Amino acid sequence: MAAAVAVAVTAATTTTTTTTTTATADVKASIKQEDCSFLPIVHDIIKCMDKDSQDVHQELNRLKTKLQETRELILAIPGIDLSPEQQQLQLQNLRDQVRTKNELLQKYKSLCMFDIPKT
Amino acid sequence: MAASERSTKDKLLAVLDDLEVLCRELIELLALSRNQKIAQPGEENQILNMLIQKDGEFQEIVRVALEQGKTQEEMHLLEKEVEKRDGDIQQLQKQLKEAEHILATAVYQAKEKLKSIEKARKGAISSEELIKYAHRISASNAVAAPLTWVPGDPRRPYPTDLEMRSGLLGQQSNLSTNGVNGHLPGDALAAGRLPDVLAPQYPWQSNDMSLNLLPPNHSNDFMLEPPGHNKENEDDVEVMSTDSSSSSSDSD
Repeated sequence: MAAAVAVAVTAATTTTTTTTTTATADVKASIKQEDCSFLPIVHDIIKCMDKDSQDVHQELNRLKTKLQETRELILAIPGIDLSPEQQQLQLQNLRDQVRTKNELLQKYKSLCMFDIPKT
Repeated sequence: MAASERSTKDKLLAVLDDLEVLCRELIELLALSRNQKIAQPGEENQILNMLIQKDGEFQEIVRVALEQGKTQEEMHLLEKEVEKRDGDIQQLQKQLKEAEHILATAVYQAKEKLKSIEKARKGAISSEELIKYAHRISASNAVAAPLTWVPGDPRRPYPTDLEMRSGLLGQQSNLSTNGVNGHLPGDALAAGRLPDVLAPQYPWQSNDMSLNLLPPNHSNDFMLEPPGHNKENEDDVEVMSTDSSSSSSDSD
């Protein structure tokens, strides 16, 4: 049973890896996404349990550490205090502001100027 | 509806908590089944499937979060742009305010000038009358010395002592105090005791064309001293000139 579980985890991990490797637009993002997967660590833990290895505790600590680090990373990502829709609304609002202010400035700059004769 | 309004951060933390719980349950179940040698494949598979699903969900939300991070950088740049434009608009507003103030002042002053022009137009005086009046003022040499005036000329733009004494008041007081005020030889004619035929003719008297234009009460100004008393008269003039009450430098 444990072997079947390990195979399933491996398959899921492979799928995840394949998915992430195809998204090559941003290498940095894909690396982060890979780092965020917990299936490899679970797979290692199950393998150690099958072998009755003493490394089980070490792997468990690794899992705990990774969970903690991931939590800290999530708190550090900027701009996720809003939902994507809300953020898009704010972005559109900012773009409209910039466009309106540019138009206003252009309008006032292109007003007719008085000819001041030089004395 | 409530789920869609949750922030990405809340979703990520919730899924992470679920992952933690599922991992713990799976490991506990595997450990239990090993120790008790009881096989529970159904439950293990179920938890495993859930774990895999949650992991996938977590990956997806992380991808969305990373995109939001990039959007946030773009928003940061736009906010800077908005701040800069705000500064430009404030600067423009300040300059327009200043221009408005300057123009308002100019318009006010122009209106005041127009009022003055209208007032002057209503009280207009003919130029001939102004010239005549100016001529009368300047004819008595009260505003400028005559062209032939030289230092030593007894003429002044104001009535001198001699002229005052030759007037009605002076003659009246001389008659009443005869011999007392006549201590100066130069005062003889001024006191009216010398005849007119002895009146000297000086260069400035004959060349001065303004003589003909003078008012009548100034006609005797240039015939006061006899030639013989010229030097004494100069002394008198100097005395009179040094007198603070009759000094020509005493002005206003």
